Amino acid sequence: MNAGLRAKVLVGAAIVSALALVGIYLAAGGSSYTPEKSQDPCQHRPWSNPEGLQEIANQFSISALDGAACQLGVTRETLARALATPEARERFSERYGIDDEKLARAIRAGLLRAIKDAEDAGALSPLIAGPLRGTIEEIPLDQAIELINNADSLLGNVQSILGPAGELLEEFLP
Amino acid sequence: MSSAPRPRVAALALAVGLVLADSSIVVLALPEIYRDLDTSIAGVTWVLVSFNLVMALAAVPAALLARRVGPARAAAVGLAIFAGAGLACGIADELSTLILARCVQALGGALAVTAALELLPATVGSERRAAVVWASAGATGAALGPAVGGILTELVSWQSIFLIQVPVALAAAVPILAVAKHEAATGILATEVRRTGRPHLWANLALAMVSAAIAAALFLLVLLLIEGWRLTPIGAAIVVSVMPLAAIVGSRLGPLVPSARARAAAGAILVSGGLGGLAFLPKAEVALTLPPQILVGIGLSLVLSALTETALGGRAPQAIHGGWTISARHAGVVIGLLALTPVFTADIAEQRTDAINAGTAVILDSKVNPLLKLELAQKIEARLDGEKGKVPTIGPAFEPLPSDPGERADVEGLRDELQEQLNRGATHAFSPSFLLGALLGLLALIPIALSRRVDL
Repeated sequence: MNAGLRAKVLVGAAIVSALALVGIYLAAGGSSYTPEKSQDPCQHRPWSNPEGLQEIANQFSISALDGAACQLGVTRETLARALATPEARERFSERYGIDDEKLARAIRAGLLRAIKDAEDAGALSPLIAGPLRGTIEEIPLDQAIELINNADSLLGNVQSILGPAGELLEEFLP
Repeated sequence: MSSAPRPRVAALALAVGLVLADSSIVVLALPEIYRDLDTSIAGVTWVLVSFNLVMALAAVPAALLARRVGPARAAAVGLAIFAGAGLACGIADELSTLILARCVQALGGALAVTAALELLPATVGSERRAAVVWASAGATGAALGPAVGGILTELVSWQSIFLIQVPVALAAAVPILAVAKHEAATGILATEVRRTGRPHLWANLALAMVSAAIAAALFLLVLLLIEGWRLTPIGAAIVVSVMPLAAIVGSRLGPLVPSARARAAAGAILVSGGLGGLAFLPKAEVALTLPPQILVGIGLSLVLSALTETALGGRAPQAIHGGWTISARHAGVVIGLLALTPVFTADIAEQRTDAINAGTAVILDSKVNPLLKLELAQKIEARLDGEKGKVPTIGPAFEPLPSDPGERADVEGLRDELQEQLNRGATHAFSPSFLLGALLGLLALIPIALSRRVDL
């Protein structure tokens, strides 16, 4: 093979190798990555076969979070992380200009939406939903603020709201 | 001459390899320095940038100085400065001190490397052979640098990378000192040569562009492996050692093709193809980085040697033209790092937010107990807060795992899914920078094509 041909073969092989590698990687999904976008919290999120009290509490918490996030105009992921620690909540308040009172109102709205969602999903009988709705509507704002000051107690309260009615709930579960 | 040629050749090759290794040896230690000195990605990049910038600026003046004061004396003094500054780097406890010491180290290094090229022709018998020894020693050093740096960082500390260079530099200086004494005794400082030719503009320009692309490949890949995928420095060193191994294969291919222009073009295309592959990694898996690294390794070996030969071919004095190639290569590294750092730093921040949101959604949608979700959210938030905007290590947030086997399996699943989200986010964050590097490699084809004297 003469020198000129070797030069052409070398350059040709380089082009083929480079294109082949990029082509194979693209075909294998190399450019398909897009981070999963957060769902709009105002859109209804279907309850998936709630079975048992814990699963209802789980779905109830998510619905409440969605409702509150919708009210505040943030994603439920952002709100969930904001409620994780007092420092995170402080940063959240500064960033979005949301004070404790506004946050507490949103939490109350979220809890009410969760009751509606549970009712719509057939996970909560209207016999239980009515009194629960009344209880939440009557939670004083300062108590709601106290709830968001301690997310443990917030979730504890969600469970305690459902807890005493546990036996009744079990009877009304689908 | 007062010392035997073989030890002298070995000493000169060692000096060149040691100095040029320093432009990349610190790459794998950067994440460790980044954490240890509590700095930013942009800040730690200057540990690399400062050395390469000073090398780029000082190489040609250093070559002129070496010819004026005597190359052996210049090489010995350069190595002494390099050793002293290496000691200062090793004991630095602040980023500013480390960067300053790196600048001084580069000054000494530039003097030693260019003086070595002036000394080599007399030692090995011809300018052509001297250029081959010089370029090979430099390429070997640059290729081995990251792996050696990674191993030392993992087994000892990042400081050991610099401290170990002190005795090595002094050992290389010993045989050269004998030549320096001879220079002083005879008064002959440098070989008298007729100046031939201006610096080869196109070859040096292409060298700068290709070096920018190679710096991107090495620097970004290391950051991806350590900061993105959380490999240990020694693990990353093993992974990136594929590149120098492939470069050895490339060096065997070179002599088969006499056309330097063809080797340079093929090399630039391979480097770009490898970077393109890294930009489109289908998954966050180490094995998928190997084929792109092989292309980059073979490509860099072909293109760097072809362009260096071209820049030096038929030109004198060799030290001055060697200085121009050093200057072009290191300027390229600096441009590559400075152009790409802001791109991937911004992308990392954006991807981190997206990945954290996706991870939070995974946790919220999981079936674990709401109180456990809250506990996880609190721990993850604390880790994010502690890492101040860096790509987080999320695993420890899931410790201790629940004792209940069912819940434990759920939490382990969540941990793996969240880590997968973060890994994919980190991988994607590097894509635009790798693509920019690939573009730089392709743009180098323009000066390669424009060069009229590429074929030797």
